[in-house]
Amino acid sequence: MSLLELREETVGYSGTTVLRELELNIEQGERIALVGESGAGKSTLLNLIHTRLGETAALVPQELGLVQALSVFHNVYMGRLHQRSIWRNLRNLLKPAKIDVDLVMPVLERLRLEDKLFTSVGELSGGQQQRTAVGRALFHPGDILIADEPVSAVDEHQAREILDAITAEKPTVILAMHDRELAIKFADRLIGIRDGKIALDEAASGMAPKDLDDLYRNGDR
Amino acid sequence: MMVRSVLAAAGVFALMQAPVATPVVAADFVFTAIPDQDETQLRKRFGKVAKYLTKSLGVTVKYVPVKSYAAAVTAFRNNQVQLAWFGGLSGVRARELVKGSRAIAQGKKDPFFETFFIAHKSTGLKPSKAFPKGIAGRTFTFGSKGSTSGRLMPEFHIRSAFGKLPNKVFKKVGFSGNHSRTIALVQSGAYEVGAVNYKVWNREVKSGKVDTSKVSLIWKTPPYPDYQWTIRGDVNKQFGKGFGKKVQNSLLTMNDPDLLKSFPRAGFIAATNSDYAPIKETAKKIGLID
Amino acid sequence: MTVRPEPSPLARTTTTFVGIAILCLIFADVAISTVDPWQEFNRMLLGLVTPDFYATDSVTQAIAYTLAFALLGVALANVMGLFLALLFFSRIVRTGCAVIRAVHELFWALIFLQMFGLSPLTGVLAIAIPYSGIIAKVYAEILEEANPAPLKTIPAGTSRASAFIFVRMPDVWAHFRSYSMYRLECGIRSSAVLGFIGLPTLGFHLETAFKEGQYSEVSALLILFYLVIATMRIWMKRPLMPIYLIGAAAILPWGVAFSFSNIVRFLTEDIVPHPLRSGAGMEAFWDWLHMMVIDQAVPGTIATVQLTMIALVATGFLTIVLFPLISPLLLGKASRFCGHVFLVVARSTPEYILAFVLLQLWGPSMLPAIVALTLHNGAIIGHLVGRYTETVSLRQDAATGFNRYFYEVLPRVYRPMLALLFYRWEVIMRETAILGILGIATLGFYVDSAFADLRFDRAMLLIGITALLNIGVDAISRSVRTRLRLQTSLEQQ
Repeated sequence: MSLLELREETVGYSGTTVLRELELNIEQGERIALVGESGAGKSTLLNLIHTRLGETAALVPQELGLVQALSVFHNVYMGRLHQRSIWRNLRNLLKPAKIDVDLVMPVLERLRLEDKLFTSVGELSGGQQQRTAVGRALFHPGDILIADEPVSAVDEHQAREILDAITAEKPTVILAMHDRELAIKFADRLIGIRDGKIALDEAASGMAPKDLDDLYRNGDR
Repeated sequence: MMVRSVLAAAGVFALMQAPVATPVVAADFVFTAIPDQDETQLRKRFGKVAKYLTKSLGVTVKYVPVKSYAAAVTAFRNNQVQLAWFGGLSGVRARELVKGSRAIAQGKKDPFFETFFIAHKSTGLKPSKAFPKGIAGRTFTFGSKGSTSGRLMPEFHIRSAFGKLPNKVFKKVGFSGNHSRTIALVQSGAYEVGAVNYKVWNREVKSGKVDTSKVSLIWKTPPYPDYQWTIRGDVNKQFGKGFGKKVQNSLLTMNDPDLLKSFPRAGFIAATNSDYAPIKETAKKIGLID
Repeated sequence: MTVRPEPSPLARTTTTFVGIAILCLIFADVAISTVDPWQEFNRMLLGLVTPDFYATDSVTQAIAYTLAFALLGVALANVMGLFLALLFFSRIVRTGCAVIRAVHELFWALIFLQMFGLSPLTGVLAIAIPYSGIIAKVYAEILEEANPAPLKTIPAGTSRASAFIFVRMPDVWAHFRSYSMYRLECGIRSSAVLGFIGLPTLGFHLETAFKEGQYSEVSALLILFYLVIATMRIWMKRPLMPIYLIGAAAILPWGVAFSFSNIVRFLTEDIVPHPLRSGAGMEAFWDWLHMMVIDQAVPGTIATVQLTMIALVATGFLTIVLFPLISPLLLGKASRFCGHVFLVVARSTPEYILAFVLLQLWGPSMLPAIVALTLHNGAIIGHLVGRYTETVSLRQDAATGFNRYFYEVLPRVYRPMLALLFYRWEVIMRETAILGILGIATLGFYVDSAFADLRFDRAMLLIGITALLNIGVDAISRSVRTRLRLQTSLEQQ
């Protein structure tokens, strides 16, 4: 079943075009990796997809969007703020309820953050912060996860763990990644962006990192 | 552009400069008055008096408005004013501080001044001849901290009647600032009881500013000497021999009702420092002067 | 494994301060005692909507004087402050600055009134002296935070003066300039307030009109006052500064006679405790001191601390409510415009005026003072925090409505807000002085009484105690800020 169809989409900020004449179809259950040079338009495309999908999709933006002053619990719990009453949210802000801590805990265990439950995010390392942001997206009730470079600050082993957790929890996943090898391993569909256009859209199986070289060479405009 | 804005700025200053009264120079004879009531009218009221004195004394006489009783005394002490319309207490203080200064004139009825105690109708207090002991435990407002009729005399009577400091007698004690304000505060019920200069009370009742269904007179103090003109001792040195006498004469012969309304007094009679000995004594007794 | 959340140091500090404030509130007198406030209140409202611009004699003169005192005072303070900032490495200078800024400008004015009388010098110095202390501290901080690298690159042997002019100054100049603009705004406010005690500024007429219940005149004067403050950024252009300063000096009536002997007398006689002056001996002096401490200093200090603590915490709560009014994260453009107008009015209205109106409504108690201080300071900090949120960007899928406010915005602004609040603590305490003049029995009340009784010995003792109290609060606030690692970068506004 088709989740989203983009037809002749053009997106730009203040006069400059970032994405041009996009044609894209995303099916439910797909695992998609967006690849391409930085500045090619991956983040813009992710944001566009997120805007179209609305609250059924969880988002991990590149800058994570964590609230430094709050604990890991609170930041992860935020994935379901919109589903809870304001009173419950307020109560959890002041003093986390056991029932909600018990719900958040499995997510943290998966991401190896269980011992940081009540540590404030400001005190965490970059990798731990990234995992917290992923945790928030995993806790989000939607079936779709959109993430912009979600494993850029962790080592390769942890990256695999995080990606495994994501695939286990969310049927449909769209990631932007700069590690080509990891992208090919993780995804079943690769979309390459170059100069604001989709330059490649193929099944990932059987591809090698060097097949993507074209995307990274300075394009002749 | 730059030149234009510079010119504009200069213009603004020229504009501001225009209405500024010419500054007081050392050779002017300057007087002030305690701001005991209706302060917005002070300039108008005493401006006329300055004109009258200029004419009758032959020197430029200026009036300087001040914000408080203490400021009036300080200006007098620092020789920024040479003459002042003081209350009983402020006059005593000023003459203590400036050796040789003299009380020279007082209103015709000023030797027999009175303070009225007024109360909000919700207190249920009724007018009486004897000191109204029922005011204990109420909220109470004096006038200015340095006022004779609004502070000194009422505090004296309160302390004699109860043998305690006012803040032990009343639930709350305030200082309204001036007599008109005391009436307004008691009328609004912000304070239940207040002490007010009888002249201000009578005038405001007469002019309809007081809602007598809300606030009423409950007690009158025995009479005491109050307001007076006080002049510095060194004016003769500064303005020529016999100047002090001349000022006194001008004041005593002031008979234009429009001028006298400024005070408001029916006319002035001579006064001496010793007329205010009872005030000095009372102030010492309750510790308002050392 | 523990799942009990450890309270953060921020939360602990918050709880402690709220606890102290509640304790203070329990012992404070906050009863509403008016019986019939509505008649006067209706008159106030009527006056507010029917401003009378012709009621005040010489209102242009009052505005001119207000600006003149502020311009000259702040300019002088800038020069002295910069000079002192360069000497800030000296402990004596630091302490001296702490002392002069711990005394409210109203008290300075009351002191100078004794020495110079109603001369322009009184107004100019009353602003310049405390502001020098404040400016010295801020400029010293700016200099300290400036980039040290360029200083290392200049040739050895360059004189300190040239090094300063060529390397340091260009770096910090912009900061100095924007800060002195802010100070000028404060200076105009202070200048107006000095009118309350007799200087011929807007406050002179404002206080009179208020006391006399001429509310249409009050309304007009307040509107003029807001206009002067709101348009400051338009007319205050740097190239015009010399003209303004010369103009300011030209319009003030310097001719008022003042004699040197008055100054000497004040310093050598008036402020000497009465028992010593009259030769009553040391024993009498100790009695005097004992009386002053027990009857005035102690109750005054208790009330001052009580009012300060309640107002501080209430200001915090109000800030939390007010800053969303101008935050683009939470409200649309139209609502924010209204929010801005409200905050400008609330923070420009002198707390004295607010307290005065509320006193009328609720009768004498600590309540009008608490609410006045809270509204005024809450609007100031709310404005700064609201402005701060303009620099915060949220993730695309951040929650909306109350969830956004509580989870995304409030936790992000809480730390800077506390920094501002603790920085403001000492200012709030200084402001309680001015409310003392309205009759709320803080130390300011006893100081005012001492001046009213022309007992300058008592006044100076009480001012000294007030200064110590302010310095103490400043020190506590600094240690709390250091402990909580609250940045000071927002402070300068």
